[in-house]
Amino acid sequence: MKIVVGISDMKVSNNPEDTLITYSLGSCIGLVVWDPVAKVGGMLHYMLPDASLDKGRAESRPFMFASTGIPLLFKEAYKYGAIKSRMLVKAVGGSQVMDAAEVFNIGKRNYMILRQMLWKNKVMITKEDIGGTVNRTISLHVGTGKTILKVSGRGEFEL
Amino acid sequence: MSRLEEILNLVRDVPPFPKVAQRVLELVENPAVTARQLAEVIQYDQAITANVLKICNASYFGLPRKVSSLDEALVLIGHEALKDIMIASSSAQFYQGNVAAGYQLEQGELWRHSVATAIMAKLLVRHVKDVDAGIAFTAGLLHDIGKRFLSAFVAEDFKNIMGRVVRENIPFEQAEKEALGATHAEIGALVLKRWEFPPEMIMAVKQHHNPDALQQDPLTALVALSNALVVSMGIGAGADGLATSLHGDGIKRFGITQVDLDLHMADLVGEMDRAQELLHLN
Repeated sequence: MKIVVGISDMKVSNNPEDTLITYSLGSCIGLVVWDPVAKVGGMLHYMLPDASLDKGRAESRPFMFASTGIPLLFKEAYKYGAIKSRMLVKAVGGSQVMDAAEVFNIGKRNYMILRQMLWKNKVMITKEDIGGTVNRTISLHVGTGKTILKVSGRGEFEL
Repeated sequence: MSRLEEILNLVRDVPPFPKVAQRVLELVENPAVTARQLAEVIQYDQAITANVLKICNASYFGLPRKVSSLDEALVLIGHEALKDIMIASSSAQFYQGNVAAGYQLEQGELWRHSVATAIMAKLLVRHVKDVDAGIAFTAGLLHDIGKRFLSAFVAEDFKNIMGRVVRENIPFEQAEKEALGATHAEIGALVLKRWEFPPEMIMAVKQHHNPDALQQDPLTALVALSNALVVSMGIGAGADGLATSLHGDGIKRFGITQVDLDLHMADLVGEMDRAQELLHLN
């Protein structure tokens, strides 16, 4: 089954038939995890870096923020039997509009916090496709871990 | 016939913007106008009447109870909300079908982008003096209407346009202009002129990709900023998406901070959930 992950949303599955997909990542980041042994896949589509921006909102929509969404993605995957040391981690998105003043650098901030959080938790990013002024759509086939990335102007390819 | 001439012919053939919307907008300028007077104008347009009822019963405008007749709706709804409903319901028809396929937008996505930009403009308008919330909403809804007219031409020349955007890292609208002779912003301004919208709205649509838009008149700045945030969120952002340039330090003159921008983006996610009925108008 195709499971769509919306903006500020997360899905985890261990059904080998499932495909997780998130559309139109601009400055947002799509974070994909997959355990090849447990055959568990997860996907998070977060929009902003830090939940301290709005604590109330972080409680009602924890997947909106990297700081609350990323830990939940890993925890949910563990529940399905995933183990950190085996997990493949892929990150895409983090684009931004052209602005020398960096006022619209949401994409960069989203990527920085991801790097920091994963570094602190000793998790390596296996593959990534970050930045630029493009739109991205990413899908993960839970049974095989096959990750397909579509980038505006660059077409569709396996990541 | 050159491509630009073909495009301009399409603009000349655009059906008029529903007169009933403009009439209602004029009527509500008078605070003493009655619900009966408004109903008399609106009821002759069945599609708009149906949309008014549909939206009044939806959560976004939050009426205290369900309504079944136009009169009842008009008594309960405020004039500000009525204006938005009239404009949204009149605009929706121009976004139906696969109107922006050339920009690699799925059906309905350009309308979703437009509604999101309109709502973002209303969220930001509190920071911007001298802009009416209804005008901000309308300009947001219509800022990308030019894409409807350019879509087929962009599709024809897509490899060339997108190739330049990717290779040379230039804004999409620059490649669009060089390939077709006009940008969707310029064509949109021509359409709004034909529809007799006010000059400041025509200007805002025309300038919404100008990198210096934030230094210009308040409505232009507001629409450009709203669009930049909505494409950053990826809402209805097609192949052109974030390939646009905007000098962000211009937000300072409105006292808007980066934290404000983050908060408004967070707000928009919830607002879009509440605005579902706006996304499904007939």
